[in-house]
Amino acid sequence: MTSPLVDIRGLEKRFDLSGSLLEQITFKNGRFQRRQEAVHAINGVDLQVYKGEALCVVGESGCGKSTVARTVMGLLSPSAGEVHYDGQRIDDLKGQQVLPYRRKMQMIFQNPYASLNPRMTIQQTLEEPIHFHRPELSRNEVRSKVREVMESVGIDADWGSRFGHEFSGGQRQRIAIARALAVDPEFIVADEPISALDVSIQAQVLNLLMDAQETRNLTYLFITHDLAVVEHFGTRVAVMYLGRVCELAQTATLFSEPRHPYTQALLSAIPRLEDDRPNYIRLQGEVPTPVNLPSGCVFHGRCPYANERCRQEIPRLIATDGGNQVACHAVEEGRL
Amino acid sequence: MTTATLSRWDRFRESFLWYSFKRDKVAIASFVVLVLMVLAAIFAPLLAPTNPYDLAQINIMNSELPPVGMQGADPAFPLGTDAQGRDMLSTILYGTRVSLLIGFGAVVLQAALGILFGLLAGYLGGRVDSILMRIADVQLSFSTLMVAIIVGAVFKASFGNLMFGEIAIYMLIFIIGVAEWPQIARTVRASVLAEKKKEYVDAAKVMGFRTNRIMFRHILPNTLSPIFVIATVQIANAIISEAALSFLGLGMPETQPSLGSLIKSGFDYIQSGSWWITLIPGLVLVVLVLVINLLGDWLRDVMNPRLYKG
Amino acid sequence: MKNDTPLLEVKNLDVRFAVRGGDLTALRGISFSLDKGERLGLVGESGAGKSVAAFSILNLIARPGYIAGGQILFEGRDLAAMGERELRRIRGNRIAMIFQDPMMTLNPVLSIGTQMVEALKAHRRISTKAAREIALSKLRKVQIPSPEKRLDQYPHELSGGMRQRVIIAIALLLDPEIIVADEPTTALDVTIQAEIMALLLDLCEQEHVALMLITHDLGVVSQVTQRMLVMYSGRIIEQGPTREIINDAQHPYTQGLINALPQMGEPGARLFQIPGSMPSLKNVPTGCPFHPRCKFATDQCRQTMPEYVRSGNVDVACYEVSNLIEQEKRMQEAGS
Repeated sequence: MTSPLVDIRGLEKRFDLSGSLLEQITFKNGRFQRRQEAVHAINGVDLQVYKGEALCVVGESGCGKSTVARTVMGLLSPSAGEVHYDGQRIDDLKGQQVLPYRRKMQMIFQNPYASLNPRMTIQQTLEEPIHFHRPELSRNEVRSKVREVMESVGIDADWGSRFGHEFSGGQRQRIAIARALAVDPEFIVADEPISALDVSIQAQVLNLLMDAQETRNLTYLFITHDLAVVEHFGTRVAVMYLGRVCELAQTATLFSEPRHPYTQALLSAIPRLEDDRPNYIRLQGEVPTPVNLPSGCVFHGRCPYANERCRQEIPRLIATDGGNQVACHAVEEGRL
Repeated sequence: MTTATLSRWDRFRESFLWYSFKRDKVAIASFVVLVLMVLAAIFAPLLAPTNPYDLAQINIMNSELPPVGMQGADPAFPLGTDAQGRDMLSTILYGTRVSLLIGFGAVVLQAALGILFGLLAGYLGGRVDSILMRIADVQLSFSTLMVAIIVGAVFKASFGNLMFGEIAIYMLIFIIGVAEWPQIARTVRASVLAEKKKEYVDAAKVMGFRTNRIMFRHILPNTLSPIFVIATVQIANAIISEAALSFLGLGMPETQPSLGSLIKSGFDYIQSGSWWITLIPGLVLVVLVLVINLLGDWLRDVMNPRLYKG
Repeated sequence: MKNDTPLLEVKNLDVRFAVRGGDLTALRGISFSLDKGERLGLVGESGAGKSVAAFSILNLIARPGYIAGGQILFEGRDLAAMGERELRRIRGNRIAMIFQDPMMTLNPVLSIGTQMVEALKAHRRISTKAAREIALSKLRKVQIPSPEKRLDQYPHELSGGMRQRVIIAIALLLDPEIIVADEPTTALDVTIQAEIMALLLDLCEQEHVALMLITHDLGVVSQVTQRMLVMYSGRIIEQGPTREIINDAQHPYTQGLINALPQMGEPGARLFQIPGSMPSLKNVPTGCPFHPRCKFATDQCRQTMPEYVRSGNVDVACYEVSNLIEQEKRMQEAGS
C-alpha cells in the first residue's frame, strides 16, 4: 500500500492522578514516600489511516479510543509517541504552524447538544471557521459557501438565523458535520458521532457521512462502541482493549473470522434481531482499572486461553494467514 | 419551527424570562419601583425643587423644618429640611443619584476585573489559576470596610478635605470595585470550568482559533447569566458599602451627599427630635436595596438552569 | 394456560403535562395487558413516551404530569384511582422498578446491605438478621461474586455492571409480580449488557416474574421479550408477538425502524432511512402522527387517527394496513 495519510506511532497517553508535589508525599512505615499514580489511557498504539478509507476504532468504555481521537486532533498532547500527517510530524507543532492542519483535519463530536455554541446562530457558527481559515473570501463568498455546506448536509439554508437549541438532535449533528465540512477538510475524526441519536436518525447521519465521504473523497477515523455500525461503515477495524490494539483487520474479515478472544466475545454480545435469546461468550471478571495495568497481555485476567507467557510478556500485533493482525500469544502459537 | 425567523423582540417575548416576569408580582413591583427611582435619580436636576449643591439657594433660617403634615411645616419643603436648611426632597433625589452612580460604577469595575481574572483562571487553569485565586482569597480575607477605611484615610490625609470632596466619588467606586471583584471572579471561574468541558469549546480548538477568541467569543457569552445575577446583587451590596463608609465619615462629603452621608448628617439631630433628617433617606436606602435584592433573587431563580431546561 | 384476567391491564390511558400555554398530551389511549410471567417489550425512540408509560404504570408521574383518563388495573384494582398510601404498598413490593441509572435507586451514603434490609423492613415485619439473610440470598441469585462482602460495600465501590446486578437483586427482594425495567442496560458496555440481559431473562423465567422492558434497542427486545409494543408520539402504533413483528412488521414506522438498523443493510451501502424526525409533543400533527414521515400517507391519514386493525396476531394502527386487509377480504369474497 501507499504511505498512510495519518500515521500514529507508539502513542501513549497518561493522565496524572497524583496532584501536586505536596499531595504525592505519603508517610508510610515510618518513612516519607513519593507516590505517583496515573491513568494509562493509551499504552503504545500504532495505527495507520490510508487515504479514502474509514478506519473504525471500537472498544468498550475506558479502552482509550476517544483518547486516541483527541490526541490525533491535538486536543491532548501525547505522553510518548508521534502523530504524522501526510509524512509530517504534527503532534509537536506550535502556534501558527498547526493552522494548515486544522483545515485539513476536522472533528465531529458525540453530543450534538453540547457541540454547538448555544449563544451563536447557525450562520455565525458556520461562518466563523470559513472567515478564519480563508480571510481572502468576501462576505458574499462566505455566505454562499455556508449555504452550500448547509444544503449538502440537508439543512434548509434559510434557517441560518436560528440557534442550535431550536433544532432536533439529528439536525444539530448535521450542523456540526456542516461546520467540520465548511473548511473543506481531507480527514475527519468522528468520535461516537451517532451514539447520542435515535435509531431512525442514526441511519440518516450515517448515510450523510457516507455520502460526504464519496463526494468529498474524505478519510475517516471513526470511533464507536457500536459494532453493528462498524460492520456497515468501516473499511478496516481496530479493536482496542485497555489502551492497546488487540486486533486489526478488514471489516469483513474481522466479522467473519475474529481471532482475538476479546474480539470474539465482543462480537458475540451484539444483540442481533434474529436471536431469540442472548447468546454470548461470557468473560470472567471485569475490566481492570487503567491505573494498575496487568502485566503481560492486558486481557489475560479474563481470557480463557491465558497461560504463563500471557501473564509475563506483552503480545505484539502479528499478521495471520487470514489477513488479520492479532496481538495474542495463543493465536501466534496456534493454540487458538 | 413554523415561522421563518423571529426578531430579537419576538424572541424576548417568547422567552422564559419574560414569561416568568409577567407571572411574578414581586418582580414586577420591584422592577417598577427600581425604574422609578433610577429615573428620579437621573432626572434629579429637573425634578428637584432646589439644587442642594448651590449654596446660594440655601437659607440657614429654614433649617430643621419638619415634613408636611407636622406642626411648623413649610409647604415649600414637602419632606422638611436638614440642619443646614437644605430641602430634604432635593437632597434625597441627588443623594439617590450619587448612591446609584457609585453602585453601578463599582459593579462595572468589579465585573471588568472579575470577568477578566475569572476567565483567565478558569480557562488557563494550572499556575495562573492558583495565583489568581490565591490573590482573590487574600483580597476576600480583608473586609471591604477595612480596606476602604485605610485607603480612604490615606486619600483624605494626602489630598486634603477640599480636594477629597471632588475625587470622593471616584475613590469610592475604585475601593468598592477593587474590594469585591473576587466575588464575580469566582462565579465566572466556576461557570468557565463547566463550559470549557463542553464540546463546542473543543470544536473551536480543533478549528485552530486562538485562546483569546475562544475565551471571549465562545465561552464568555455562555457565562453571562450567572454574572448578571451576581452583578445585580452586587449593586445592592455596593450601595450599602458606600452608605456604611459615608456614615462613618469616609465616604461622600456632606456638600455632595449620598444617601449614606444624609443619614449620617441627620444622625446628630435625632436626639433633638429632628428624626426625619435621618429616617427618610434611611427608608429610601432600604427600599432601593430591597428592590434590587428582590430582583436579584428572581433572576437567580429564573436563570438557574437546573430549574429551567430547554 | 392463559388466565382470564391478565395480571396488569392498562385501558385507554391518557397522560398529560400541564405546561405554559396549555396541556401537552404525552400518552394517548394506551391500552395493553401483561400476563403473569410474560415478558413485554416497549419500544420507541426518545420522545415517544415509553418512559412516561413506565412511570405512569406505577402512578409515579410527577407534576406537571397527570393521568387524565383511563385505568391501570393491577389484579383488578385501579392504580390510577388509588391513594398514595395504598400505592406505596404495591410499588417496590408487588411491582418493582429498575432504572437506567442505578444511582436513582441506590443511596450513595448507605451500604448495600443497609439499603436492602431497609427496603425489606419497610414492607415486611422481619428481624434485621432475617432480612440480611434474604438480601444475601438475592445477591447470590444475581450471581455477584463474593456476595457477603458486597453487603458491607457502598455503591461507589462497585462497577457499573455490578451495580446493575445489585439493582436487580433489590428489585427481586420482595418477590414482585412485575418488574418494570426502563432502559436497564443502556449505560453499560455491550459485553456487560449481554450478561445483564441474560441474567434478567433467566431470573424472570425461574421466578415466574412478569417483565416490562422499556428500550430503544430492537436487538434486545428481540432476544428477551415474547410480546412487544411499538410507540410513536405517545401512541401505541403496533403490538403483538415479538417474533412476528420483527420478522414481518406491519406499520411503516416499525418497518423503517427495523430496516434502518445497520445490521439490516448491505455493508457499505446506504442504509434505509425514515425522513424527518419524531414531532415534539408541542406540535403533534393531526391524524396519524407518523403521516409527515410516511411514504404511504393519504388525506385520510392526515385527517383522522387510524383505529387498530388485526393482522395475524398483531394489532396495527395504520390505514395502509387496514386497506390492504379490506382488499384481501374483498378478493377472497369475489373468489368464492
